[in-house]
Amino acid sequence: MPGIEYLIAALTFVNILLALGGVIAGTVIGSLPGLTATMAVAVLVPITFSMEPSSALILMGAIYTGAIYGGAYSAILLNTPGTPSAIATTFDGFPMAKKGHGDLAITLACLASVTGGLVGATFLLFLSPPLADVALAFGPVEYFWLAIFGLTLISALSEGNLLKGLIGACFGLLLACVGIAEISADVRFTFGNQVLLGGIETVSALIGLYCVPVLIDLVATPDRHLKVTHEPRGFRFLEALAIAWRSKLSLLRSSVIGTLVGILPGAGGSIAGLVAYSEARRTSSRSEHFGQGEPEGVMATESANNATVGGGFIPTLVLGIPGTPPDAVILGALLIQGIRTGPSLFTEGGSIVYTFIYGLFLATFLMLPVGLIIGRYAYKTIITVPKAMLVPTVAFMTMIGTYAIRNSVSDIIIMILLGVVGWILNRYGFSPSPIVLGLILGRIAEQGFVQAWTIGGATDELWKMFFGRPISLAIIAFILLSLFYPFIRTRLSKIFGGGSDAE
Amino acid sequence: MRNSEKITPGTDMGTVVVACLFIIMAIVSLWDTTTMMDSDSYVFPRAIAIVMILLCLTLIISNLIRSTGEKLEKAKGVSTIRRISLVTVMLLSCVLMPWLGFLISGFATFLLLMLVSMYDEWSPAKKIIYPLVAVTIVAAFYTLFSKLLMVPLPVGLFFE
Repeated sequence: MPGIEYLIAALTFVNILLALGGVIAGTVIGSLPGLTATMAVAVLVPITFSMEPSSALILMGAIYTGAIYGGAYSAILLNTPGTPSAIATTFDGFPMAKKGHGDLAITLACLASVTGGLVGATFLLFLSPPLADVALAFGPVEYFWLAIFGLTLISALSEGNLLKGLIGACFGLLLACVGIAEISADVRFTFGNQVLLGGIETVSALIGLYCVPVLIDLVATPDRHLKVTHEPRGFRFLEALAIAWRSKLSLLRSSVIGTLVGILPGAGGSIAGLVAYSEARRTSSRSEHFGQGEPEGVMATESANNATVGGGFIPTLVLGIPGTPPDAVILGALLIQGIRTGPSLFTEGGSIVYTFIYGLFLATFLMLPVGLIIGRYAYKTIITVPKAMLVPTVAFMTMIGTYAIRNSVSDIIIMILLGVVGWILNRYGFSPSPIVLGLILGRIAEQGFVQAWTIGGATDELWKMFFGRPISLAIIAFILLSLFYPFIRTRLSKIFGGGSDAE
Repeated sequence: MRNSEKITPGTDMGTVVVACLFIIMAIVSLWDTTTMMDSDSYVFPRAIAIVMILLCLTLIISNLIRSTGEKLEKAKGVSTIRRISLVTVMLLSCVLMPWLGFLISGFATFLLLMLVSMYDEWSPAKKIIYPLVAVTIVAAFYTLFSKLLMVPLPVGLFFE
């Protein structure tokens, strides 16, 4: 049981300052489209080399947690996820902002991020060793089914036209195949073009698909970007708190989902957000409002993606297997510090680990005031800045952000072209979200599918490989529930007469 | 975003055309998979392309038979010229970036996009303040990325 002495060690002036600075830096970097949490941690890692190991970990954890939250700003205010973790935040965050509730959405995102962060850190503190075993129980086939589970969100995102949503997802899945195949290293769909060898970069694609259409529509009319309300409304903290309290179960469930997905190596915040969103929508009494500016949707995503921070540290510290991409960078920094991760770290290096975990709690608590203040400033800036400033600034940010991912001008061109394609498709009812889902989940689904297929073929247990493992079966059950639950619920409400959803 | 155009019931020929384009794309993808040697490479994309063709055919047939699709109605006061200009300026900036460098092309892009998105009168104050703000924003981002984040932004022929 971790002792109070570690808490005191975490609460030194230097550590508080590092946690505060880390959260601020992470939030600002995460809010810029194109700059991911991984990049935020990677860029600032050299600063930590001369620090005490626990202080270094606190700083990196604070940057990471801040960056994941920061991604929500541009997702809510510009319909562009600042980090891939915030993809699902756009689904309800931007519609809320369009209705004039961007300030409330940001405060909700902050509250949810803090809750998710605290739940993730609590799991890290008390359940690290047993939960690390979960990471080992997931094989390729489970990752395949997890990706398919994420794809079932298409039914929720296709705005009443499932067929168009599925076609969009297929388009995204084919885009994910462009470049060198991960397993066989075959060159696919490049048509002799060397630029396409590296594939379509996911973050630049999502910047293009989400942000460029907004810019194209923004310049077309003199209307303001977001609805402006002139009465002062402050942070709308109490209102947000009341909504969060009303959705406390959903908030907790999403946080636990985020923690568990974070434990899985390579899954990350984007899948956590998508799965939590899907589950929140399925179980909510207001499921028909999802996608139209439902606060519960924003909270589900934001709590889940911040919970991956604590969750991702579990396999990183216990097994030495990074749970999320930023964890891989942090693991590298730990090795440079001379720290050997593994089960013994919790006994032999207890002072470092537990001081860090309490530091993570500290950083998460600090995210509340920091997030609210920066969020308020970001909201006021976006609604008051003239269109002639907003359009070039956002366009410039998307271009420099896309370039920075792989130092490639070609990526910017692909980003713009995908944005134009996304805008045209959107006019005919093909929403960008299924395309992005296909693009993100395509690689995970294909890798899991091919590996499971190969193992199943080699062991002559192909059927058992896909449908005979308990975790797979549980995920398949969730997939079926996610797909057919709206239909079942409608049928049940018809049979039992009434029971229409509240509000 | 469809905030400026209205959707009305009618025959949705646009969707049919988009679905046909997707079918062509899927056929090209299928053709490309024939050049792949390893089954690990082509199983997944081939399956997706076939599913895509089937879905598109279903969409086309349901649109033609039932004619219950949506028709796009162009709204008034929407500037197509500005839309095209925005995309053209951004693409042109990318093409010229290796020669002009990120700083110059970025600044030029910023100014041009400012002109494209300007709906108000250019008052004397705006004529001075806006370009100054443009320089500040471009310089700030350039410094953040090239100096602090160490991103090797294109320098261009003028500064080599």
